[in-house]
Amino acid sequence: MKVKLLVQIGIVFGICLLGELIAKLLPFVFPSSVISMILLFLLLLSGLLKVEHIREKGDFLLKNMAFFFIPSGVALIEQMDVLKGKILPLLAICLITTILTFMVSAFTIRLVTAWQKRLSKEEK
Amino acid sequence: MSEIYASPLFGIVLCIFSFEIGLWINRKTRSPLANPLLIAIAICIAVLQGFAIPLESFQQGGQIISMFLAPATAALALSIYSQWEVLKKNFLPILAGTLTGSLTSIVSVLVLCKLFGLSDELTASMIPKSVTTPIAMEISKQQGGIVSITVAAVIVTGIIGAVIAPALIKLFRVKNPVEAGIAIGTCSHALGTTKALELGEVQGAMSGIAIGVAGMITVLLTMFL
Repeated sequence: MKVKLLVQIGIVFGICLLGELIAKLLPFVFPSSVISMILLFLLLLSGLLKVEHIREKGDFLLKNMAFFFIPSGVALIEQMDVLKGKILPLLAICLITTILTFMVSAFTIRLVTAWQKRLSKEEK
Repeated sequence: MSEIYASPLFGIVLCIFSFEIGLWINRKTRSPLANPLLIAIAICIAVLQGFAIPLESFQQGGQIISMFLAPATAALALSIYSQWEVLKKNFLPILAGTLTGSLTSIVSVLVLCKLFGLSDELTASMIPKSVTTPIAMEISKQQGGIVSITVAAVIVTGIIGAVIAPALIKLFRVKNPVEAGIAIGTCSHALGTTKALELGEVQGAMSGIAIGVAGMITVLLTMFL
């Protein structure tokens, strides 16, 4: 079943609105957009919502994802004083933590898959 | 001149064409260093400063674009859902790898920021830098960070990940494509995933799943900070 684009937008925005409402009701702070993501995922998983219902709108959002961050990035203009003399340490942090994160993640998966293999062998 | 930039359309039009130029340069150079988002941000900043246009005028249109961030984050559910079978099959390695990876990212940022003597505000802006931008922005806001710095740090991290991923695979002798994919997605989100897709189908799918899972796990972990 093909759904009109306007209705697709209504569905996605509606889910986001619901996400914001749930975020306000929660006793702790949790990003509303992540709640909306979980909501949408559960709706898809339960079959209440089909991918076809929001295909074009979803593709539009995913394919142009980077575009939506431009204004947030342009706000850097106001942070030049904060960043002064801090650029190099910040870049160093980005590099070092990326290497560490990759290493720990890779080694963990290696351990887990080795352990899973041993378990499945023992079962046989 | 002020008649032009007084309209919210100004910011929107500037963003669209800056981004198109960024995409074009990226296609021509085929280098992850020529990141379209980074180029678009640089062009917008140059235009605003060059013509002495106040940021507030630009943000009239900018706010309308930013409004799409929440729906775009929600749409990530579509990409996780399309990988649901792969996710189920490799559930344990994915969960374990993204969990320890995300924890490492957060802890190493905290330690290094302390070491470099950076302010709490900057530290908070850096904490979520390994996860995908929409989620990172939310975490940064909640931790009292500066969102624009977080956006820049996320892009820089993604570029670094995409550039050095092949070297890291060699350095740490990664043989399993599942391992490579999850590690890339966990440390450098969507930008790293573009590299993972070049390495192979399994790597790409795993990296794509890791974006969403690592994002969620990082949200949960930072709740305890």
